[in-house]
Amino acid sequence: MRGPLHGYRVLDLADESAALAGKMFADLGADVIKVEPPGGCPTRRIPPFLEEESAGPEDSCYFQAMAAGKRSVVLDLSQARGRELLCDLAASADFLIESFPVGHLDGMGLSYEALAARNRRLIYTSVTPFGDRGPGAAWTATDIVGWAAGGMMAMMGAPGRPPLQVTVPQAFSHGASEAAVASMLAHLERERSGCGQKVVVSMQAAGVWATNAETAFPVLEGRSLARSGIVPAGMPRTSVYRCADGYVQLMIGGGMFQPTTAGLLEWLRESGPLPDAVAAIDFATWTPDRFRSGDPGFYAELAACDAAISDLLQSVTKAEIVSRSDANGWVVAPVATMADVAHDRQLAARDFYQQVEHPGLDRELTLAGPFARLSEFPAAAARRAPMLGEHTAQILQGELGIGEGELAALEAAGVVSSLRQGVAT
Amino acid sequence: MTGVADGLRVLDFTWFGVGPITTKYLADNGAEVIKVESRKHPDGLRLAPPFASPPGINASQYFGNFNSSKKSISIDMTTQAGRDLVRRLIPHCDIVAESFRVGTMANWGLGYQQLRELRPDIIYYATCLQGQTGPRAGFAGFGMQLAAIAGLYYLSGYSPAELTPPHGPYTDFIAPRFGAFALLAALDHRRRTGDGQLIDLSQYEATLQFLAPALTHYFGTGVVAQPAGNRSLRYAPHGAYRCRDDAGQERWIALSVADDQQWAGLLAVLGAGDGPPALAAHADRLARPDEVDGYVGELIAPRAAGELTAALQHVLVPAYPVQNCSDLRADENLRAFGFFQSLDQSECGPMPYDGMAYRLGRTPGRQTAAPSLGEHTDEVLAGLLGLGPAEIGQLRDDNVLF
Repeated sequence: MRGPLHGYRVLDLADESAALAGKMFADLGADVIKVEPPGGCPTRRIPPFLEEESAGPEDSCYFQAMAAGKRSVVLDLSQARGRELLCDLAASADFLIESFPVGHLDGMGLSYEALAARNRRLIYTSVTPFGDRGPGAAWTATDIVGWAAGGMMAMMGAPGRPPLQVTVPQAFSHGASEAAVASMLAHLERERSGCGQKVVVSMQAAGVWATNAETAFPVLEGRSLARSGIVPAGMPRTSVYRCADGYVQLMIGGGMFQPTTAGLLEWLRESGPLPDAVAAIDFATWTPDRFRSGDPGFYAELAACDAAISDLLQSVTKAEIVSRSDANGWVVAPVATMADVAHDRQLAARDFYQQVEHPGLDRELTLAGPFARLSEFPAAAARRAPMLGEHTAQILQGELGIGEGELAALEAAGVVSSLRQGVAT
Repeated sequence: MTGVADGLRVLDFTWFGVGPITTKYLADNGAEVIKVESRKHPDGLRLAPPFASPPGINASQYFGNFNSSKKSISIDMTTQAGRDLVRRLIPHCDIVAESFRVGTMANWGLGYQQLRELRPDIIYYATCLQGQTGPRAGFAGFGMQLAAIAGLYYLSGYSPAELTPPHGPYTDFIAPRFGAFALLAALDHRRRTGDGQLIDLSQYEATLQFLAPALTHYFGTGVVAQPAGNRSLRYAPHGAYRCRDDAGQERWIALSVADDQQWAGLLAVLGAGDGPPALAAHADRLARPDEVDGYVGELIAPRAAGELTAALQHVLVPAYPVQNCSDLRADENLRAFGFFQSLDQSECGPMPYDGMAYRLGRTPGRQTAAPSLGEHTDEVLAGLLGLGPAEIGQLRDDNVLF
């Protein structure tokens, strides 16, 4: 099955900041052409690598993950002929996604207006760090800078120590996935009007969406959350508990969390009598009203449960806890590592991971699977990321009708390069 | 100005974060998104702060922010008459969205297969934490649990012994974009073929798209990513650095330096000449990040975050103040983008909304405030089903409309 977006072409001019946008299109079957400069897109050089010692253009884990399913054409946009070829490709494309500095493509004659003059259907999506109109329109960002600008960083980390990022970059992916949605919103209308349009995305604003509506608190309650260590900002106490070999996340409380709380205490009872303060609790009194009333007796009960459950969990493994939790339907979450996620039985049951062969690598790759299951499109075979210039000849000859001789001349002039016998020229 | 989703109608049973934010993309762009709730089972966020004054079921901006531009009808779905009303609405709808525990809708006779009989080309969007199938399909929880399950909690901290989870139900703000994208693709498929379909959006699987590089790394090499604070394999310095306090508030700047040119720019802005010879090469700085942080940190400490940001950006060093939510409200770039909105809520008056993070140049869409509970019950039932005041009054007396 080919995916619901089969038949649409996306020109992907994005760097790492918007790589996920094109990936989302590719995952649903669109023909995503990654336009790379000679030498390759900088995303090919993002660590970590599959081979740290001899990292080549196919070794970046980031690239392999985020370019999966795309085709690669190498075009030198600093040459006039390279820009002409891009215009030719844009003439039959449905989407163009770019993340150059604001105005950069305009200055090269590759503005929305210029490309739309030949293809009024084109949807041209610019992913910017801080929008295109403010003092930061010309500014650049790395992921950590975007995380800071969107408000999440201020709420993560410990008091007295620096605010933190997540170790795997996040801010760019918020902006990129927003760009994918916005592009498809424009598409919804294009299929009625026949007209594309220019779409602008602010990574910063997309990041603000992750703050969980905290932006309304300064206005309505006059407060702004600060980072608070292992206790999630804004929460009364921790929800992360140490166990024998790591951590689990759970919430002690009433309502939907009451069976979990009671179940863990029952487990504790297997190894001896419960502490008096816990044994005396009548869970029937753990009502939302009592919670909201701020009754100190209730909070003392919570604290007693918290201490007892902390003690219990110290001596058992994450796997034991998860196994009990699964068997009993508790709301307990392992604080999973990538190894845990890689071997998770829920994902295995849904055949989430996908193996692909890669001719440029000495090993099979395992990729994250589909983000959504669509009943009309049972899972398609996974597609690997392209090798540098792998599709240059196919696209120039097949799509633009360029002959063998002209292609050779373009290559000789360094306007394009294509993969030949496993090596990019 | 027309919205891109004009003419679409969504019957929206979703609550909390993921589902409502998904359908909001359509609502803000002109779709008629009809949210189905009741006083018995309101969207849980209606009960959560921050509230307008006085607090109440229609005064939560936590709810408001995720439900702009929608309509609300209040139907008690635990009644047969309520479910019958919903079944009569289905033929008028393009999309049904739900985020209940797996099986809830089917038990009400409102599963995908059941609704296809009423509307053959219905697009049915079902989202839950871990997907509609598999051993943990029934796992009920929030985005905090999922952030832990998906690996984000572990990757947030100064070290494996010092975890500091991301704020809030973080995955609630990842999954909706994948859901909305899939919905829009399904709409296009329907346009091309006439066929609807079921979308099973596992918030877990959506979230892992953000972590895909780390999974590829693990599968390819066996290396398990570890929480590493603000350390980077590519940049040094890289992190948040304390600046001069502003009006008694601590201020920080985030920045990163990728190469010798940016290092020279940073040193010039900080008035530091050539800097320590031991840190002159990028490879040296990557190898000695603590030393780099110490050196740079001292130079940054007396500076003001905003001015320093502008000066660094001027020499092409990526930087931005670490903005808290109060700072965001005054942020000039968000203001220039037109991000924050003040929208008139029917009971509360003007309320502070987050706006769109995107701008469709020709068809910008239009946000209106979130609905009060049941605000559009009469309008929708009269408009779509032709119910008169007497029938509606009877349903209300019977607590079906509740």
